[in-house]
Amino acid sequence: MIPVSFYLTLAALMFTIGVCGVAIRRNVIVVFMCIELMLNAVNLSMVAFSRTVGNLDGQIGVFFVMVVAAAEAAIGLGIIIALFRSTRSLESSEASELRR
Amino acid sequence: MEILVYAVMLFVLFNVIMGIASINTWVERKGSALIQDRIGANRAGRYLDSDLLVLKPVLPVIRFLGILGVINTLLCDAVKALFKEDFVPQGVSKFLHALGPFMAVFPVFLAFAIIPLAPEFVLFGEVIRPQLAPLNAGVLFFLAMGSMAVYGVAIAGWAGNNKYSLLGGLRAAAQMISYELAMGLAFVAVIVCYGTLDLYEMVNRQEGVWGVVYQPITFIILFIVGMAETKRGPFDLPEAESELTAGYFTEYSGMKFLLFWLGEFAEIGLFSFLLVLLFFGGWHLPFVDLPEHAWWAALIGHAILMGKVLFFCVLQIVLRWTLPRFRFDQLMKLGWKYLLPLSMINLLVYGALKAGGWLTV
Amino acid sequence: MMILFALLGALVIASAIGVVALRHPIHSALCLVLNLVGVAALYAMLDAHFLSAVQIIVYAGAIMVLVLFVIMLLNIKVEQPHRRGIILTLLATLAGVCFLGILAPLFYRGLRGFTDHSSKIEGTVEAFGELLFTRYLFPFEAASVLIMVAIVGAVMIGKRHQQGGSK
Repeated sequence: MIPVSFYLTLAALMFTIGVCGVAIRRNVIVVFMCIELMLNAVNLSMVAFSRTVGNLDGQIGVFFVMVVAAAEAAIGLGIIIALFRSTRSLESSEASELRR
Repeated sequence: MEILVYAVMLFVLFNVIMGIASINTWVERKGSALIQDRIGANRAGRYLDSDLLVLKPVLPVIRFLGILGVINTLLCDAVKALFKEDFVPQGVSKFLHALGPFMAVFPVFLAFAIIPLAPEFVLFGEVIRPQLAPLNAGVLFFLAMGSMAVYGVAIAGWAGNNKYSLLGGLRAAAQMISYELAMGLAFVAVIVCYGTLDLYEMVNRQEGVWGVVYQPITFIILFIVGMAETKRGPFDLPEAESELTAGYFTEYSGMKFLLFWLGEFAEIGLFSFLLVLLFFGGWHLPFVDLPEHAWWAALIGHAILMGKVLFFCVLQIVLRWTLPRFRFDQLMKLGWKYLLPLSMINLLVYGALKAGGWLTV
Repeated sequence: MMILFALLGALVIASAIGVVALRHPIHSALCLVLNLVGVAALYAMLDAHFLSAVQIIVYAGAIMVLVLFVIMLLNIKVEQPHRRGIILTLLATLAGVCFLGILAPLFYRGLRGFTDHSSKIEGTVEAFGELLFTRYLFPFEAASVLIMVAIVGAVMIGKRHQQGGSK
């Protein structure tokens, strides 16, 4: 049996990579994917905890995270397409209409 | 011992997949010729002559197969594809170009793992269930693999570095996502009906009455969706040759092209298997009672199953060569406006029937 | 078991780095798909069979296909390196490492007082469904409303505005 801390370490590493990605990349779609990466890291830790604690509540939480991620993808990609239509680029720094 | 059983099962399963794929290839070539009033492949091997003593007794058989076109479609085409130049267009990632056909075939083959091939039987005192992966998630695994198959065509369309390929890939991705919704809901209706996710159990529930009798609408939805997911028949817009030359596999040649071909024909077999196992009683026939756990009964059951599967394969191919192609808006309308609401209502009806206790399978 | 975990862990981490480091969005997206499949395999190792299937159907099969679809539709080219790119990258990586430095001791300390049951809890479809339709019925219904709102919102955002129409 693999100790739960191994899974948690893996999840922490994944989450950190996701955070770095959001900070480094400027392409909106890649930033979106990095957010998915972070969500997945949290999901993994929740499933690991679920086994450790001994009930299914953590897994139910993961299920709801997936539902929210699906809704987020629908809206987020819609916004990305709308952004591309108005600015002809996907650089996050280009979307500064509100600042002017 | 267990490993040996699994190895044998894997071998048999692989042979079933390849056998169905090659029979489909032959039926497609020769059947399309019949439907279009052509003669079709009939030359290779027909005039074979040899003085070799080993070949003498089988010569008439080979000549007959040659007249039927079997040698042409299965042997010559494969050898030809092997020796063709493997063309990779300029400015594309070679890795992605090779990944496309691989991803088109791999999920289809994996999905076969949950298919039971025959009833259980006892051999050397052990009960063997001829199903490679009796998973808890069962049919969900099939759905998962079906959704992974989109990547093959999407990557292939992208890696072609060609407008036609890209359009084909986009069309294929849109079509498969749209029809997956109706497929998922139809599957849920089936699961509600049988109360299990395991395909083997589902077949066992149909011992008396076939599933199609009390869920005809689900069958029709799944049949249409299956034809759309294989991107054939009236749904072959992603590869529409009169508009897109060949769609997502325009830039593929040789063995890579043949892999798409193989994946397509294996998928036809996969959907035929599913329809037979879910709705047409699998290895059960009316008025035929096979004894349980006898090895010869398992063989007969397997033959019955394969016969039904081949029937559905041929039916899909005949439909493909009979019906004209949809327009893209018609395709989307059928998926979103007719099939999706229909499968929702269907699911509601079966849920109500099950909750009311009127449906006991 | 341990070897399998090590392989999967290496795959998950390598593909996660690939998502961030690769310049072409298509390559990033494919790396993320690999990552999601690896995580699904980890779920299966944790006996969460249902979640493992749903992870592939929903995440890898629907969400990532949509992302790939959008990338192909907009025909996005390789991201150009920025002037301040290197400094920014270094700073962000440093911040990430600091973040991990905060996270790791917390996990370590928190886990010491934690009794690891590691019970045979299995996320089968039956157990999952029963819990979802009894104790978690309200969140389940709320989630379906959320999805409905998201669909309507996506249609509204994605709709092309007619020339001269209300903007």
